[in-house]
Amino acid sequence: MNEVSLFIPCTVDLFLPHIGEATVSLLRRAGAAPFYRRGQTCCGQPAINSGYRKEAKEAAKHFIKLFGDDEAIVSPSGSCVCTVKHHYPELLADEPAWFRRAAELAPRVYELSQYLVDVLHVTDLGASFPGKAAYHESCHVLRGLGVSTQPKQLISAVKGTQLVPMNQDDFCCGFGGEFADRYPDISEPMVQDKVQNYLDSGADLLILCEPGCLLNIGGYLSRRHPGKRVMHLANFLAQGG
Amino acid sequence: MKRAAMRIATEQFAELARTGAEKARGRPSLKMVPDLLYRLREAGLSSFPDIPAAQAYGAAIRSEALTRLPELLEEFEKKATANGATVFWARTAEEANEYIVKLAKERGATYVIKGKSMVTEEMGLNEALSKHGIEPWEADLGEFIIQQMHCTPFHIIGPALNIPVEEIRDLFLAKADMKKPTLDPVELGWAARLFLREKFHRAQFGVTGVNMAVAETGTLINLENEGNIRFAKASPRTQVSVMTLEKVVPTMKDAMHLMRLLSRNCSGQRISAYVSMDSGPRKAGEMDGPEELFIVILDNGRSRIYRDPRARDALRCIRCAACLNSCPVYRQIGGHAYGWVYSGPIGQVLMPLLLGLDKTQDLYRACTLCGACKGVCPVGIDHPDLLLYYRSMDVSADVAARSLFRGKKRPWREAGFFKAWGMAVKYRWLWNLGISLTRSFVNRNFREGVIRDRKGAFGGWFRSRDLPLMAEKTFQEKWEEIKKIH
Repeated sequence: MNEVSLFIPCTVDLFLPHIGEATVSLLRRAGAAPFYRRGQTCCGQPAINSGYRKEAKEAAKHFIKLFGDDEAIVSPSGSCVCTVKHHYPELLADEPAWFRRAAELAPRVYELSQYLVDVLHVTDLGASFPGKAAYHESCHVLRGLGVSTQPKQLISAVKGTQLVPMNQDDFCCGFGGEFADRYPDISEPMVQDKVQNYLDSGADLLILCEPGCLLNIGGYLSRRHPGKRVMHLANFLAQGG
Repeated sequence: MKRAAMRIATEQFAELARTGAEKARGRPSLKMVPDLLYRLREAGLSSFPDIPAAQAYGAAIRSEALTRLPELLEEFEKKATANGATVFWARTAEEANEYIVKLAKERGATYVIKGKSMVTEEMGLNEALSKHGIEPWEADLGEFIIQQMHCTPFHIIGPALNIPVEEIRDLFLAKADMKKPTLDPVELGWAARLFLREKFHRAQFGVTGVNMAVAETGTLINLENEGNIRFAKASPRTQVSVMTLEKVVPTMKDAMHLMRLLSRNCSGQRISAYVSMDSGPRKAGEMDGPEELFIVILDNGRSRIYRDPRARDALRCIRCAACLNSCPVYRQIGGHAYGWVYSGPIGQVLMPLLLGLDKTQDLYRACTLCGACKGVCPVGIDHPDLLLYYRSMDVSADVAARSLFRGKKRPWREAGFFKAWGMAVKYRWLWNLGISLTRSFVNRNFREGVIRDRKGAFGGWFRSRDLPLMAEKTFQEKWEEIKKIH
């Protein structure tokens, strides 16, 4: 059985633990054995994005010490996986021993849909949802990891679900962490356009693989279009299974 | 013709962005133009047998050119001089402007005809000429319009694309001798042509920019779709070509590939309508071309950028503007929000280096790091990575790194937060302590199961978005249960 180390992003840990729970149940359903390392905190993405490299290095080293020996590390967040895969080696480039450990770790870190489809070769997890679903291509999932077909395959395999196209599905939703709060005059029209495209698509549900986008799009829907839903892929696949 | 001096307004970014977004909301067509250019580009690129390989080749050419920059510039100077051109090295925009004004004055030129160029915008050449009583006439249609309207370029390749056609009609009736009102773009273009044609006929002095300067042959290359650059290069007696240091490429073969890339990425064309390649002034027996050719090689901060190998990548840019069209932020706020000559992702990458980080804080922070720009760049610029680099320069204790581009210290609250965060991130017990302290504070304003506001803090977020409650139990705290249930 594939032992899988769960990498639960802080946004999920603090605000959206149900995404973590769904991740566990999906991995088990797909035949893997997930376990959770209690020492984990944050991957360091906010510090990197704000320019605090020294502090981010602390996060990176902590992560490497904790997860360093695990064969497969799986997370329901594309951007956190990007941080570990792409930023850690760059961050630790001037410390050869740490750099080596970061580089060795990088290929063992997976985004959830990537792990399910590419490693476990599972697409049908037995879920069912009668209706139309649209998929939002989160920036770090699509451009950061090159993951796009995997979530779509998983959605398409759900019984009763029709995956419908959405305009500008690969456009940023305007989250960007601190960006959303610091530049509301830019961020708001971005999320507004995203939601308009979702409404225009005729989908009953918007699905994505990134907790950050979920907070942003979900927060906007909750305020302006309370009837419309956005859901993490993990929760979508976990339902009705 | 007077032109409003191009004030540097990069520090007013947030305000200008708001205005820009409001304007775009009122006119949906503003958002459609970048989208159209984006699609044209995609269609144009499909004529490459292997798109990523073609783009990677472009990156390699630009990277080599920058690595060998000093050597290539010397070679270019030697070849250009041998071809009969006069090369002038200008350290600053002022030096370049003074030189051009002096040349024009010595020749008794009363006006200057200009081909479209970004570098003369950067230099503020038009203001310098006007100040000395020499009229600059922009000959590119878009540049002509914004010059007459006293505004700055909205887009690198479409400077006036934000201006409604009705305003252009009124402008031409008032200032370009147009006889009868029309909204037909062809007729409007024709009116501008007729008006400018007369300027071309009597032109004594022309100024243009440069797309590529070929070191091995001393050739200057310009690409365009209107013919104004060719005209400004060929018809006046005296011609000045202004280039910044990084425009030089090693060989003609390199230039050829960059032309293929530039045309496709700019406007989806396989090649621009006009390509002019000039090596020196008119030679004996030749029909046209200037009698004298001056080449101004301008530094204006580039050699400082060159000294930093990581920042140097910003100089790879060939000004195709594909990043502008791809950028979700540019599409919302338009080109005027960036506060100076360059806009969009390349503006966010270049202007902090040219003007100093202390004057451009918002330019490298107002980005979600979505990576669309990096994805389309034909010369391998990693815009998000550069923006992160600038952000880290503000934080860095390394004074040398900070002083090169004038990094600005971060507010103590933010620095303090990350210091504490840096401790807590290493110890889960400390992290948990932080969580329990924040939870009751964050959750106290909940209504209908969500948080609607935080009384001032995070007002930008809560203006239009809710936040879920911070979970009563974190995933970690629930793990023992989860382990059993699922």
